[in-house]
Amino acid sequence: MLELRNVEKHFKKPIRGKGVWGMVKSLFSRKHTLVRAVDGVSFTVDDGEAIGYIGANGAGKSTTIKMMSGILTPTSGEILIDGLHPYKNKERNAVLKTIGVVFGQKTQLWYDLPLTETYELLRYIYDVSETDYKRRMGELIELLDMSSFLDAPVRTLSLGQRMRADLAAAMLHNPKTLFLDEPTIGLDVLVKRNLIDAINRIRKEYNTTLILTTHAMSDIELLCKRVIILDAGKVLYDGSLESVKHMFGDRRDITLETATPIDASIIEKKFRLEKISSENEGTHTTFTVDADVQPVNELLNYLLSEYSVRDVKIVETGIEQIVSKIYEKNNILIDGMKITSDIADSEPCGKDKDGECKSED
Amino acid sequence: MLKELKLYPKYVSMSLRSSLSYKADSIIMIISFAITEVVSLATIYFIVGAVPSIGEWTFERLAFLFGFTLIPKSIDHIFTDELWILAYRAIRRGELDVYLTRPINPLFQFVAKTFKWDGVGELIVGIVVMAIFGPQTEIAFTVGGVIALIICAVLGVFVFTGFKLLLASLAFWVKYVGIFLNTIYSLSNYAKYPLRYMGKAFMSIMFYVIPFGLFLYYPIECLILGNNVWFAVLYSFIAAVIIMTLGLLVWRLGIKRYESAGN
Repeated sequence: MLELRNVEKHFKKPIRGKGVWGMVKSLFSRKHTLVRAVDGVSFTVDDGEAIGYIGANGAGKSTTIKMMSGILTPTSGEILIDGLHPYKNKERNAVLKTIGVVFGQKTQLWYDLPLTETYELLRYIYDVSETDYKRRMGELIELLDMSSFLDAPVRTLSLGQRMRADLAAAMLHNPKTLFLDEPTIGLDVLVKRNLIDAINRIRKEYNTTLILTTHAMSDIELLCKRVIILDAGKVLYDGSLESVKHMFGDRRDITLETATPIDASIIEKKFRLEKISSENEGTHTTFTVDADVQPVNELLNYLLSEYSVRDVKIVETGIEQIVSKIYEKNNILIDGMKITSDIADSEPCGKDKDGECKSED
Repeated sequence: MLKELKLYPKYVSMSLRSSLSYKADSIIMIISFAITEVVSLATIYFIVGAVPSIGEWTFERLAFLFGFTLIPKSIDHIFTDELWILAYRAIRRGELDVYLTRPINPLFQFVAKTFKWDGVGELIVGIVVMAIFGPQTEIAFTVGGVIALIICAVLGVFVFTGFKLLLASLAFWVKYVGIFLNTIYSLSNYAKYPLRYMGKAFMSIMFYVIPFGLFLYYPIECLILGNNVWFAVLYSFIAAVIIMTLGLLVWRLGIKRYESAGN
């Protein structure tokens, strides 16, 4: 079990003056601002849970992960992983053996040597027995589909291959808890999807607790049931992904391409729609509905029977919209609105037999 | 500690194999380190050639001192070269993250990562120079004297390492210490010359503040003047213990306030 109790992390940033003279002055001045990167965060994660830890840039996600994985020492508060503090000298080694960490922007692999060399070294660092190592390596190579690049020097790997290799390195000692800090950053859609599938397979196989930060909200929808939303170092929301979606309605955008224009006014009268918009003289129409208020299948049945429909697209509202709604509701000024920038990331998905959409982005 | 000792050969072999993928670079480095030292020895030769001798220091004795100073320096270079990276960028850029998430000593992992075998060039020059000029120094070498020199060289490695660690760890507080470390470190070059003729103030600094004089110059001076060389061993030992302890202490204090770096 992982527990955070009122954790705070402050950084001192020297106040820099303007221009050259300001820089010289700041060399000798002791003035600084206190940045509360993490400001009183508490939560508990049970064994086997998967948590999406999200927030805008600079919200304090990475800082929290770094405190949980032994890199940073909290300014105040307590972090306990199965009763031990990862940042205390005497308890460090015991805790670190039970966790695995992957940073999307850093690698722990030996740059000039084949992957297997790093794994061999990690085997010794984590005291993994020869038989365990062989079995686990075999499983991971299969789960992450790594056999083709095991003997290539790490510097020649593609980003997607490197991420999978880093994931395997973090899983080698069978950690109870896995921390992933932006594991999908910079990956293209297909590679990303493969990686997420692999993470899901790993979790199913080993029942690993997962703490994930990411900017692509789609990652979280595919990996986590519970989300913790962080803003300016404070927890804004902690609860299930489902309920956070329903809090603001389960919105869908349904786009139809029809042979003849759709008469919007008739449909508006018949159904409870939130919004309707059309392009190309009415042959491309988008209906926005709240699935809790207006069942999607009723609307679709009607449309399919009345018009000759060429194509249907259904997009489930991404978490990014929901998160920005939470911000609005809490009347919080969002710094740069980074969260919503991921909208471009969510893609239309194919529908399955109920006309329901499994978020495919 | 035991685990670290067992792991060290693995690190060395990985580091060697890594650098073998850049074979030409390594060979160029070895040769250039060796050339640098040979050229500075030649400089001493030309300077001393212009004057008959400096006190009791003939060219042969200066060359012997020169060779001796290369030994602890090159050994330190071979084993702990990575500490320069600590001073220049590892702390500032958050490169320690990886080592802090693994269940063995992070300082060990950091230092063990690089086995800089290019330092072998310097080491060889040092040994060869000592072997050539040793017999011509008219020093009465005893077994005890030779052992004392070896101990001084080993302690010297610890002073160099502790010193680099101490200054590099300051990067936890001040971000750009690399240049500062470089300046202080290069003062060790003055211990290649008879410090006693460089003025009392400078000699005191080289003995008591930045004790490069203690383990590099002083033992050779003792041998030449016929003083008890074991005093040099004792002083070097004290210097090594103090500096190594300070270095480890500052590292430990620093790592607690390590800030990593944002993405």
